Amino acid sequence: MPIETTDIFTSQLPVGETLRIQRTRFRPETPVENAKRISIVSGIHGDELEGQLVIYLLAAWLREHPEALRGTVDIYPAVNSLGVDTIIRGFPLYEIDLNRAFPGARNDFLPAQVVHALAEDVEGSDIAVDIHSSNIFLREIPQIRINKEFSDSTFPLAKKLNCDFIWIHDAVTVLEATFSHTMNTRGTKTLVVEMGVGMRLTKAYGRQLLVGILNLMKSEGIIETVADYNVREPFTSEVGDVYYLNAPAGGLFVPALDHCDLITEGQWIGDIVDPLSGTVRASIHAPHGGILFTLREYPVVYEGSLLARIFGASDEEN
Amino acid sequence: MKKIEILKLESLSRAPMVVEGYLFEGSDPEAPSVAVVGAMEGGTILPLYSASRLVDFLHKKLGSEKILGNILVVPSVNHYALNINERFWPLDKTDINMMFPGYDLGETTQRIAHRLFEALQGYDYGVILETRSDLATCLPYVKIYKTGREDLESARAFGLKLIHLREPQSIETVSLQYNWQLWETKACSVMCPHETLVDLETFGVIFESLINYLSKNGIIRYDTFNGFDSTVVTRDRIEIVQSPNSGIFIPTKKPGTSVAKDEMIGKIVHALEGEIVHRFLAPCDGLITCCYKHSLIFENAVAYRIARRG
Repeated sequence: MPIETTDIFTSQLPVGETLRIQRTRFRPETPVENAKRISIVSGIHGDELEGQLVIYLLAAWLREHPEALRGTVDIYPAVNSLGVDTIIRGFPLYEIDLNRAFPGARNDFLPAQVVHALAEDVEGSDIAVDIHSSNIFLREIPQIRINKEFSDSTFPLAKKLNCDFIWIHDAVTVLEATFSHTMNTRGTKTLVVEMGVGMRLTKAYGRQLLVGILNLMKSEGIIETVADYNVREPFTSEVGDVYYLNAPAGGLFVPALDHCDLITEGQWIGDIVDPLSGTVRASIHAPHGGILFTLREYPVVYEGSLLARIFGASDEEN
Repeated sequence: MKKIEILKLESLSRAPMVVEGYLFEGSDPEAPSVAVVGAMEGGTILPLYSASRLVDFLHKKLGSEKILGNILVVPSVNHYALNINERFWPLDKTDINMMFPGYDLGETTQRIAHRLFEALQGYDYGVILETRSDLATCLPYVKIYKTGREDLESARAFGLKLIHLREPQSIETVSLQYNWQLWETKACSVMCPHETLVDLETFGVIFESLINYLSKNGIIRYDTFNGFDSTVVTRDRIEIVQSPNSGIFIPTKKPGTSVAKDEMIGKIVHALEGEIVHRFLAPCDGLITCCYKHSLIFENAVAYRIARRG
């Protein structure tokens, strides 16, 4: 099985170092006519590491099962490679969120050149999966985020990825600067995965998504295996509503529940406390019943900080 | 002068952040009104200094009878970032200027944007003092997004050399200027150079332009000296000069300098061996508008932007 690692972008750094964005391509020993190509991308945000594990597991699986490969698998573990190795979310020095800089351009500032190189390299793939880990503040169950504008083509693929939740959101102009919007516009069916938490690995989620990616690749003819992959039936945002819980006050958020708990309306979710005075600044209760699919991980909050998201029946049904 | 509280935000351990505006009520009810917004990011020293000096000028020098229209000045919206030299909101690193028109039930910076935006409603003119977001410093110029509601005429009143008129990118549809224009204020941004120490000469240019703007738009009565007859430039007139090598960047020409084609404008020195590895030559006759602002430069980085002459 030919395995080839390529620099898709390089730039000499000022002092004796080269910035490089790398891709490894796995191809079948014998080319298969009309076989599809899938690109798995992670590390667009430097503080999100869950995708590193998933891509490692996938690459290891491909190395163990070279006979299964029919199509092309491209992996890009660390798009913001400088950020990944230095715990910096945005593009270091420039402080630019790469996922707000697409499609970029060759003659623009450096972050725009990086995303331009990625988009050019992924272009032509049939499918792309962009793996994110929420951020350092929130823990998320494995979920797919889909822009309504492209949902006809991406929703059927999302169901194969073994995630727990598919969230179809409205088209928002500002999100046109994302990798997924750019690639979907260029004809690559692109899915965004959010799972786990920034700066950490959630091994169970990594294994869960690996099964989903293998299942998707099998159904698209990119791999051929005897094994069947049993995947979860995700719940989708179309059958209910997402309720946001934002902090009414600043302080230290102490959760009372575990992530993923099923909760009822009015249930105590946690307190925002003031250690200096030993008082509770605000007590947080669920506005609706449902599943607590997002829970704050980083305890320091300001007014407005997102504490949790609940997916439950819509208001009308309530 | 009235101090008005625009927002107050509590923190876990820091003292609450109170954002205040300074309101100068005009003497002529027919005169137009203006709001001026200073630092929305940390490290934006010239926007902060220019706005605060404007408060002092209006309060102590001008006198209330010469203030014709209402003027609101908000020198800082992000004290928490300024005080620790963080660029964005210190906790989640979000950019307040990417949160407009804001949301009163949303995340922290959406709420800050919402409360600020509420306070800025109803003004005829709006001025935002900004710095560039791309590691470049620049000559002071006016940036206006083409929204169909942009007002070039009032922007000419600054008397700055350049007005950069351009289409907003998708991420700029959540900026203050874009939304302020949509809400029918004649809004524009004065782009200020990045400075870590205040450069009084540059400050003088910005401050003079603000006074010109207020005076020529009939908001204050004050004798000013005419500035430039501003040239409106669009993106197609800007030449990009990229750095073919990395190393130590030594600019020899600053933003605001007129250059001739092939004139040397800077060089790159090898960071470990000290030799000159590249000399930047101007690709055209024109005016340097922006220059990379760090001494260490990456390969392929945009080193200069030059507005082409003619």
